[in-house]
Amino acid sequence: MNVFLGISSLLIFPGGLFLVVSGLLYEWADHKMLALLQNRVGPRWFQPFADTLKLLIKEEIIPDGVNPFMFVGLPLVALAGALTAGLYVPLAGLAPTFGFPGDLIVVLYLLSLLTLGIGLAGANSLDRFSLIGATRTLTQVFSYEAPFLLALLGPAMVAGSWQIGKITAYAASHWLILTQPLGFLVALIGLMGKLELPPFDAPEASTEIVSGAMTEYSGRGLAIFNLGRAVELVVGLTLVSAFYLGGLSNPLWFLGKTLVLLLALVGIQSLLTRLRIDQTVGLWWRYGVLLVLVQWLIVILFRGM
Amino acid sequence: MNRLGTMLPDVFRSVFRPPATENYPFVRPEKVERLRGLLKFDPTNCSGCGLCAMDCPAKAIEVTMIDRKTKKFFLTYHTDRCMFCGQCVVTCNKSSLRMSNNEWELASLDKNSFTIYFGDKPDAEPILAGKPEGQPEPVKEG
Amino acid sequence: MPENLAPKRFTIPIGPQHPALKEPGHFQFTVDGEVVTSAYVRLGYAHRGIEKAAEERTWIQNLYLIERICGICSHIHAMAYCLAVESLANVEAPPRAQAIRVLVAELERIHSHFLWIGVSAHEAGFETLFMYSWRDRETVMDLLEGLTGNRVNYSANLLGGVKFDLDQAQMDSIRKGVDFLEERTHHYLDVIMHDSTFLQRTRGIGVMTTAQAEVMGAVGPTARASNVKRDLRVEAPYSAYKTFPVQMALDTRGDLEARFEVRLNELFESFRLIRQILDNLPEGPLVARIPRRIPAGEAVVRLEAPRGEVYYFVKGNGSDKPERLKVRTPTICNLTSVIRLAVGHQLADVPMILAGIDPCFSCNDRMVQVRDAATDSQKMLTWEQLRQHGIDFYRSKAK
Repeated sequence: MNVFLGISSLLIFPGGLFLVVSGLLYEWADHKMLALLQNRVGPRWFQPFADTLKLLIKEEIIPDGVNPFMFVGLPLVALAGALTAGLYVPLAGLAPTFGFPGDLIVVLYLLSLLTLGIGLAGANSLDRFSLIGATRTLTQVFSYEAPFLLALLGPAMVAGSWQIGKITAYAASHWLILTQPLGFLVALIGLMGKLELPPFDAPEASTEIVSGAMTEYSGRGLAIFNLGRAVELVVGLTLVSAFYLGGLSNPLWFLGKTLVLLLALVGIQSLLTRLRIDQTVGLWWRYGVLLVLVQWLIVILFRGM
Repeated sequence: MNRLGTMLPDVFRSVFRPPATENYPFVRPEKVERLRGLLKFDPTNCSGCGLCAMDCPAKAIEVTMIDRKTKKFFLTYHTDRCMFCGQCVVTCNKSSLRMSNNEWELASLDKNSFTIYFGDKPDAEPILAGKPEGQPEPVKEG
Repeated sequence: MPENLAPKRFTIPIGPQHPALKEPGHFQFTVDGEVVTSAYVRLGYAHRGIEKAAEERTWIQNLYLIERICGICSHIHAMAYCLAVESLANVEAPPRAQAIRVLVAELERIHSHFLWIGVSAHEAGFETLFMYSWRDRETVMDLLEGLTGNRVNYSANLLGGVKFDLDQAQMDSIRKGVDFLEERTHHYLDVIMHDSTFLQRTRGIGVMTTAQAEVMGAVGPTARASNVKRDLRVEAPYSAYKTFPVQMALDTRGDLEARFEVRLNELFESFRLIRQILDNLPEGPLVARIPRRIPAGEAVVRLEAPRGEVYYFVKGNGSDKPERLKVRTPTICNLTSVIRLAVGHQLADVPMILAGIDPCFSCNDRMVQVRDAATDSQKMLTWEQLRQHGIDFYRSKAK
């Protein structure tokens, strides 16, 4: 029975199928909200599904000179990383399916696996655009990863545990957005960096390097990368809203809080220009790290008192 | 003084307003008086001079004479060649041509619907039967 | 993979198909990491042979061919052609027609600059400004549709005058539209000058000094942003600009931000001019009579398009068809500046620098001779030979 429950939660709910479908729906919500803020209509609800379906039925062209195993395998690795990360976060307001002390680090690593997969895929191709996209992806990972991790460790520090389930339970009674506002800010902006949303979309700046690391991908590989990013959107939103917005105790709170957070993300997206990669690095290593260190200092001082 | 988020007033206002996009097939756009749509021909005053055909930059009008003496002729108008410039309307000094302002949705799946004949079509059948398809003919001057 | 092991200096092709370009053109940038070290441009992808086609059509038919050289500056091309032909025939369009021509030209300038703000913002990644400026551009396109009958390719000109008149309802709607657009232009100027993230992409990028601008022969707002006092409406007024003068919009800094500000300040001049024309529209006929056979001679006309100086040379030989028509559009003058300025900048700035000159590749295309690098010879192929060459090439590749 336990095995059956484990497999069904891995494949259908709340992981697997449910995660993929909700990822695509959140992607639609992102595009639709952005369109409404820009005074236009935006896509209909089934647009991401239609896109994925269309990509899956198209021919996948494997370009000359790449390592075919890596070319076909990297999207799968990336999607697997994102889906696995979903098993440890409180999706749909339920308790995480699996949990163990220290799984916060594992989840963040699995999410980075997605970005690393994209970067490696770009370095694998011989195309100039892919190489530049890969360089930018990896540079960006080096810049936002540390502040983002530190911002998520702030709640871990006050909760006294590095297990997501326990931190969420602690956060349910303490609204950490009020007590750690700087950490929340860094976590929010860090989430935008992780998801490569504008203004941090230099790695796939379509007006400069076509599609960055994913330029050579078409058909199934591209569909899987897109699914991976949609899943990353949900998992990232869940994580940040669980920590800072007072825990996710039931599905209704889950929907409400993640959508409010998404609205904040979309609002910031619509107001800022894309940053150049050197400006991104400068921003993170100057202001991002500074803010989160100040936040940590405050937390430590308060706990000491 | 540099600020962040200068487009905020626009973005904020858009939350309370409907989108600026016209929901086209369900909402008809406003009527524009001077829109240059499909060409309309009024044969009452037409003298068959053929200046409109000569001036057309796209060779979209052909004037074919049936009988010079009784002034019987007809006009062939190729919608797919027309660029809706309006030169023929200006050239005609008998005001026989005008451009409709509500017929502008001209897409069609049938190629034959792109050729419109104005004038005495029954008399023209024998001449049309003898003409090769799709070639612009020069105006038959007497 | 030897390419990845080689020193990190390789060429990035921008175009002919690239999301940064709205029309095909080929730029090759050699980059070292992210810094551009050299640049090279090749045109010829949108060449349609219009100058030759113009020799086979009558003077009246050519009016509509010329209009379609470019979609954004179509009225200016048609106006230049009309002025050249009228000068050959020694006919002058009546003052009311000239005022209406200038009115439509200024409305077109407004439309072009709004389009350009949107496209540049899109290149920078500022999608919101793109969407809002294009939404406001719909206002001026609706005005032009109400006035002329079409949103693009207005066909407002006739040889000898204009096709239509302005009535009171039109004038009211133009005034209302212009008021709305002026308010929006103030807002966009505020955004351009004060938005920190946008300024990070435009301030100090692509700086062109006055001396450089003069040597490279830049024209239009690109040159005026570097304090080169070049504006044909002021230096050599034509048509109704003699009665309704304008002032130049200048800026001394020469970077991308300056180019944005110059174009937006030009818009304020256009709004003022439109109101002035509407208040003082001269009475009179709309068309002057012009013969079908234009007398022989040569005429040169220079006009100020939204992008700079447009130069037309028309030669007639007494028949009803022109003998030679030559068009030189402003983007060709400004392209050299892109190649020189891009060196030393980051790759991410290159689309912005390209968008900063407001390129219009359809206008400026030329026939390009491509020579074989090894033997420095060239081949001439007929259409059939070219088709066959393509079929054979891909067949041999598939083997």
